[in-house]
Amino acid sequence: MLFGLLLVLLAVGAPALLSATSVAAVLVQASPIAIVAFGLSVVVIGGGDDVVIGGIDLSIPAGAALSTAIISDQLTNRGASFPEAFGLGLLAALAVGAVNAVLVTVVGLTPILTTLATYASVVGIVRVLTTNRRINVEDPTVLWIRDTNIFGVPVPVLIMLVTFAIFGWVVHRTRYGMKLRTVGGNLDAAVSVGLKPRIFVASTFVWASLAAGIAGVLLVARGSGMSPGIDERLLVDMVLATFVGAAFSSKNIVTVSGAMLGAILVSFMATGLILNRVDNSWVDGWKGVLILLVVTAAALQTRRSRQ
Amino acid sequence: MSAASAETASLSPWQKATLWFFKYAFLFAFVAMIIFFSLQSEAFLGASNVMNIARGSVVVLLIALALTMVISSGGIDLSVGVALDFGAWFVIIGMASWGLPWPLAVVAGLVGGSLIGALNALLVVVLGVTPFLATLGTFFIGRSIQQIGTGGGANVNYRQAPEGFQAIAQGATLEIPNILLVGAIVLVVFFIVMELSTHGRRIHAMGLQNSAARVAGIDTRKYRAWVFILSGTTAAIGGILLSSGLRIYTPMAGFAYLLDGIAAVFIGASLHRGGRPNVIGTVIGVLFLSTLGTGLDIIGIDFNLKAALKGIILVLAITIAVLVSNRLPQVERWFAQQKKPLLQ
Repeated sequence: MLFGLLLVLLAVGAPALLSATSVAAVLVQASPIAIVAFGLSVVVIGGGDDVVIGGIDLSIPAGAALSTAIISDQLTNRGASFPEAFGLGLLAALAVGAVNAVLVTVVGLTPILTTLATYASVVGIVRVLTTNRRINVEDPTVLWIRDTNIFGVPVPVLIMLVTFAIFGWVVHRTRYGMKLRTVGGNLDAAVSVGLKPRIFVASTFVWASLAAGIAGVLLVARGSGMSPGIDERLLVDMVLATFVGAAFSSKNIVTVSGAMLGAILVSFMATGLILNRVDNSWVDGWKGVLILLVVTAAALQTRRSRQ
Repeated sequence: MSAASAETASLSPWQKATLWFFKYAFLFAFVAMIIFFSLQSEAFLGASNVMNIARGSVVVLLIALALTMVISSGGIDLSVGVALDFGAWFVIIGMASWGLPWPLAVVAGLVGGSLIGALNALLVVVLGVTPFLATLGTFFIGRSIQQIGTGGGANVNYRQAPEGFQAIAQGATLEIPNILLVGAIVLVVFFIVMELSTHGRRIHAMGLQNSAARVAGIDTRKYRAWVFILSGTTAAIGGILLSSGLRIYTPMAGFAYLLDGIAAVFIGASLHRGGRPNVIGTVIGVLFLSTLGTGLDIIGIDFNLKAALKGIILVLAITIAVLVSNRLPQVERWFAQQKKPLLQ
């Protein structure tokens, strides 16, 4: 409902926004954002939404940047094949997730502090690896992902849809997912029915890093390589997509499908504002206003339905 | 807890020392880090460097104190950086464009930051938006307003700022730098309000369980609104200090302080037995981060490597500290068992 209204608003200003080419471009742009947002959704769903101790993983964009850097470096500088490079990138991202999982569940640090620190560390490692320079990639597989349409759907969008299907199925359709939502929704209830919260919380960080690793491939394809600073933009977009996405779920909570809608909305806004010829200085402002409109409407709706 | 303290009364000095070590493990990690840096560079513990660390910590401290209060109340404020910017901006244009005398310009700066807080309060308390999204929205809007107001993000210079204004950050009273006095005053106010007064208790109660706090008769809406407004005001003080020190307003400079501020609050919370944000813990967190940053600078480490090391050392120090202090009850129990034969 809200989502449609916002689209109409942007499309009225710039009818070109709804043309097939720009819809495809928006979806391609949304795909890495959506994938990292799926990862963050799993962490928030399993960790609960408490500010101090709740689940959050700020290190996902850093993991994605690490995977992007390793894939680019392997392909261009070390002559690796695509599967080797992707495998290494994914392993590196998973290692970041494993570190987070250990620090949160074994050592007992809060997720926000842990992932803030791993974010800083991994971004630093990426800078050391790349010496903060751009790495170009001309690998045929990467170019194929970037340029191919299958039945008119760009490959990055297909990758996003497959990842969505996997994450959505795991979280919302399996026994594991139900237990995970119990752990995040009500810890005491979960413990009293005999669930072991630590294992579930630990697993969420692994899911998140898996998402980071997959997003890395799309980032390599989108940028034809690794550019410094991709993590910062991704961090803001990921957080935005995940939590604005909650406004699209009926109970106003974070869900995997909400995260996808959120990611699509974020990139529609970015493209829509450009097509509407909004001055660069105003873009952030409009973004802020639109976000607040969506979430305020959602908040008022929830309040009304409770009364 | 009371049983344990009764036991500790009859422990031998070395046992007490061991307990003390386990309890304050993070402080020892901190001291170890300071010793390491001073072995690497003689200048590290020099008076001028220690003073630099202290001066450089004040702005982060103010941001971190604001966040300590908001996070204690169960919220988050991602717009503290923007509130800092507004403080820095309004005080400069107050003097340069509106021709206000500097004390009034300072007031304008404080109002500027408080406006950001008031917008958050409106969104969170009146409209019911979650603090995370409300302050993220404010953050975007505040950034954009700065870009529009400065023609795309150009610095605003005010080289001929009055002496009195420059003295806020650069002068000294009784040989103590004013900037440290400002930091100390705000710190003491926060300590009294958050740790000693009933207001602080109520804010923590809201953060632990909002509905229970409301049932207990706390006007949670009023408190939440004030928490956000005062968070903006406190951040604006930091901005005014920046403007006074540099005589330049750089748009969107505040964001850099956000992550360090959040990290400091959660370092503090992980040192607290109940895992809650607290003023003393936050101060330790701020000092740890700025000592680490300065230390890595002074031993001349590569810029790219510095970012990685800062995060890794932070993780290691907190991990060791938390692992060690989690063992405290076991050590206490072990000492108690050791003692039993002696008593019989």
